[in-house]
Order: sequence, then C-alpha cells, then structure tokens
Amino acid sequence: MSVSANDNAAKVGLRSFLAKYSVVIAFAAIVIFFAIASPTFLTPANLFNVLVNNVVMLAIVALGLTIVISSGGIDLSVGVSVDMASMIFVMLLAAGYSGVVGVAGGLGAALIVGVLNAILITRLNISPFLATLGVLFIGQSTQQLATSGGQPIYLTSGYAADQFNAIARTALFGAPTPVIVLIVLVVAVHVLLHRSVFGRYVQAMGAQPGVAWYSGIRVPRELSMVHVLCALLAGVTGILLSATVKSYVPLSGNAFLLDAIGATFIGTTLSRERKPSVIGTLLGVLLLAIVKNGLLLVGWNFYWQQVGIGVLVFLVLAASFGLRRAAH
Amino acid sequence: MSASVLHSEVGVSDEKQAAAKSAGRRFGALVVRLGAIAAFAAIMAYFVIFAPGFTSTFNLINVVEQSAILGVLAYGMTSVIIGGGSDVTEGGIDLSIAANMGLCAAVYATLLSMGYGDFLSVLAAIAVGIAVGALNALAVVGLGILPLLATLAVLNVAAGMELTLTQNTVVGASSPLLGVLVSGSFLGISALAWALIVFSAIMIVIVHGTSFGLRLYAAGGHPEAARAAGISVPFYVSFTYVLSGFCAAVASILTVSRLSASTPGSGELLLSVLAAALLGTVFSRRFVPTMGGTLLSVLFIGLLANGFQLLNVSSYWVNGVQGALILLVVAITSFARGSEGSR
Repeated sequence: MSVSANDNAAKVGLRSFLAKYSVVIAFAAIVIFFAIASPTFLTPANLFNVLVNNVVMLAIVALGLTIVISSGGIDLSVGVSVDMASMIFVMLLAAGYSGVVGVAGGLGAALIVGVLNAILITRLNISPFLATLGVLFIGQSTQQLATSGGQPIYLTSGYAADQFNAIARTALFGAPTPVIVLIVLVVAVHVLLHRSVFGRYVQAMGAQPGVAWYSGIRVPRELSMVHVLCALLAGVTGILLSATVKSYVPLSGNAFLLDAIGATFIGTTLSRERKPSVIGTLLGVLLLAIVKNGLLLVGWNFYWQQVGIGVLVFLVLAASFGLRRAAH
Repeated sequence: MSASVLHSEVGVSDEKQAAAKSAGRRFGALVVRLGAIAAFAAIMAYFVIFAPGFTSTFNLINVVEQSAILGVLAYGMTSVIIGGGSDVTEGGIDLSIAANMGLCAAVYATLLSMGYGDFLSVLAAIAVGIAVGALNALAVVGLGILPLLATLAVLNVAAGMELTLTQNTVVGASSPLLGVLVSGSFLGISALAWALIVFSAIMIVIVHGTSFGLRLYAAGGHPEAARAAGISVPFYVSFTYVLSGFCAAVASILTVSRLSASTPGSGELLLSVLAAALLGTVFSRRFVPTMGGTLLSVLFIGLLANGFQLLNVSSYWVNGVQGALILLVVAITSFARGSEGSR
C-alpha cells in the first residue's frame, strides 16, 4: 500500500520535474542531435555565427517583452520600435551626422513609441493588446510615408557608417561587440526584474493588478516605465541591426515579434506559476536559434525549417503543459 | 460582466456607490455606443459628400466584395474569442487563422492545377482547414497550452507547410466554381458579395439566435458557472477552434477566386483580422464580441480603404488611420467603462 503510494508520488514528482525542465531537456537533446548529425554544428565558427546573427537581436527584443509580459501586458509594437530606431539612425548617419547623434536619435525614436504606448495604456486605459496593435498600424503607415512606400535606405558611404559597421563586426575583450551589449543588457534586466523594487512591483502587477493598486503601487507610473523600457530595448536591436547590415529596410522589425513572444512564453514553462524570467527567455531564444541553425546545417530547406520549428515548439509546449496537467 | 468583475476584484463595495456607479456606467456605455456610431456616420458622411462615386451601387457592392475574405476570417476569430473569453493573453485567440487560410488556398490551387475537380479540391481544402483547427483545439483543450502560444506554434507549422507546398510561388487556378465566384451574380449582387451575406447570416443565426450560441457565450464568459450549469466547456471551446479552421478554408476559396491563384503572404492578414474582431466589440451593448459587431467593423475598415482610394489619398495612410481609429474608439470605450474593465 505504502509502496504504491510512494511509487505514485515518485511518478508525480518525475512528471513535474519533466514538465518544469522540458525546455532544458529539449534544448540538450537538440544540441546533442545536431552535434552528431552535422560535423560543423559544434565548431566555434558556427556557434559564433549563431550567437551574432540569430541570438543577439532577437534576445534583446525578447528581454523587453519579458518585462512587459511580467507586468501582465503585451507589446505588439516592438517591431515598430526596432524599425523606427533603425530608420532614424540610418537617416541621421546618411545625412552626415556623427554616430553619437545617430544612436541618440534612434533611441529617441524608440522612446517616442514607448511613451505613446504608455500614454495609451495608462492615461487612456486602453488594453495593452489593442493599444500596441494600434501603434503597430500607425508605425507601419509612418514608415511607408517616410520611405515613399517602403524603399530601403542604404548606407553607402560615410565615416560614421563604416565605423559602426566595424564596431558591429569586431571583437571587444575577445567577444563580438553585439554580444557584449547583450550580456550587459541581460544582467541589467535580470537585476531589474528579479532583484529590484521595480521588479517586484512589475511582478505584483502581473500577478494581481487589483491588489497591486490597493497596495499603493503607483501602477500607471510603473507600467509606463515597463513600456518605455521595452521600446528602448527594441530600439537597441534596431540600431544593432542597421549597423550590421548597413541599411534600413522598412517593416523588417515585425519579423522579431512572433519569435520574441514565443521565446518569452517558452521561458515561462520554467516556473510553476508560468512567470516569465530572463533566464527562461534566453533559453527560449537559444532554442529557436539553435533549431533554425541546426536544420539549415542538416540540409533542410528554408521552408521546411519553419515547419520544423513550429512542430518542435509545439512539442515542447505540449510536454510542459501536458505533463504538468497530468501531475496535478 | 463588468459588475461581476468589479465585485470579485474589490471584494467589498458600498452597495449604494456601486448602484450609482453602474447607473453612470450604463449611461456612459450608451454615450460611447452612440459616439462610436456617430464617428462611423461622420466619416461615412464625409466620404458621401467628397468622394466621387462613393455611394454608387457598384462601389458599395465592390466594398462588400473586398470585405468578404476579411469578414469570413474575422467571424472565425470572433467565435474563438467568444468561446475562450476575451482576456487577450489567457483567453481565446487564434493566431494561426491567416496562415491556415494560406495553406488551404495552396492546397486548393495545387489540387486544381493537378487536374482534380472542384468537388475533391474544395473538400480537401476544407479538410485541411478543419484539421488545423482541430490541432489548435487539441493543443488548447486537450493539452492545456495557452491559446496565444499554441496557435503561434501552429501558425509556424501552417505557414511552413504552405511554403513547402508552393515553394513560395504563385499557383494559378481556374475551375467552374471559381468562374461562378468571379463573374456570377444574382439580383445584381456578385457571387463574392453573396458569399459574405450568406455566411454572415448563418453565423449571426448560429451565435445569436440559438441556445447553442447562448451556451457558447456562457463557456467564454464564465467557465466555472457554465460548468456548474452542465455545459461541456471543453466541447464548446474545441468547437470554436474547429469553426475557425473551417472559416479559414472558406476564406481560402474566396481568396483563390479573387486572385485566380494562391499567393504567398496571406499571413499578413492576421493583424487586420484581429483588429476587426476586437474593434467589433464596440458595436455591442455590453462590449462583448458579437458577429454583428464584427460585420460592422469589417465593413467599416473596407469602406475606409475604399473612401481613401476614391479621395486619391495615398494607400500608405490607410493602416495609420485605421490604427488611430481603433485607438480612438477603444479609448472612448474604456473611458466610459471605467478603469476596472480596462485590463
């Protein structure tokens, strides 16, 4: 009798362990699989390539979304923040301004998007989903109008442009500059979200908005901060993106949106309460990036990669959610 | 719904104050609904006066035709939001609907081009649409995955399968059915417009005229209460995802007929579908998603694009104005609803 009870408890324990760490297990299994399937996968050159081209920019956008989703909201306009920062940055450099002005301008543009979201959500009481959806539409029009229908802007010459491209491509302390930027931002957001008073407020608003308000948290102020931070982080991605490809392609930022949402929510499977966390989000981003790269190396064509990613994400989610449901 | 939310969130509330509040809110809601309709009317009046040919029968039928695809998709999305609850991160949502339509269109056009008849091809498209919907239902109801996440994964699968099937190319298609949809007309109204009218009538009757629809609202509005009342909530939620897949299949046949081909890039419709379904809530008395409200907002979006075209305003403005209008309408709505309903 007691043996079978123990047995059951062990089973339940195993299930909840598998549910909690399904992302980690999937991640490890995938790395091992690709390491065996493709000789180039585990080479430093390839991992470097994955990190710089697939991880950094998506991860920075996803960090911003992690803050927003922790607060119980969503930001569908991250692509607009990426694009606006990229657009203003490239336009300023193309007009001959220095890099500092370009970066300030780009971040300023992203800031405007964030402030607009904040005003709509906290002052006009529009739900984050609808507010940022509206801003997304407006941002798309703005870009089309500013570029006569979506013409890319290329940085063909200019000292600042070359300098930025060089910075984006060279190493600092042995790591590529964008990776250094990512590490700094990861540490900063982790401390902000999981170790600071602001972070506790954000978590409280996400868990129980009503209680947060009655506890004296200045919800509008903190929420504004949340959306401004998210937009600024997306703006950093926009600047890194333009510096790397030396151009601005209108409406290209939207490609980050669904992947970043996916990565953040995949990360939530790490915690029992399904709370987003910086570590979880990073794991989600790495999972998506590794699968994309691995499928490419194994020789799947681009179209099948998307099916593969969809199926894999589906399976990870099914394992995490399904096993947890079985454990309860 | 707002009153119950208020009570459950606040716990204790002075009854007198609550009564006064609810009276105020009812008045506010009336103002908003009238305001939204007035804004709608004002914009239309502007187009009627200044846009040449706006009111011609030909033009209006043209708008209905152009709205057919968005409308059918928006009905699918609306049913999912009704059955799953309107909380955007936890409630019902189907992000895969536009990609599903693309996949169905690719299947339909490919089968036609391979020489299979209309009957088999339509059947296959509908089977694919329903299968994708059933996959969503399995993920959301069977495995308990958040709808936002489950349908996001399915979006990738459907979009990837469409790409593999068509190799990202345009697949031309022609068939007797497509011929009827393109050039057929009855009582001076074209077949595509009829498709929207008939589909709208069916959806409105099912959701708003039957006890089935009532139970669907119960399942989404208050799942625990619905369960206590003996309603099988999982069945109703599953049904909405399958219905959404069916809508995607129907829309795919309309889009193939309109373009005489299946074309890549149908996923871009997703945001417009979401906007139409969410904007539609403003046209309902209690700010819940309704089929009639969705129809109105779909026609509104269609008329807006059309009016701009006739006024010779650059099409680049359309998205922005649509976005600004959504924000305006929703801001007024939430203002009248009071702050407690806004989250």
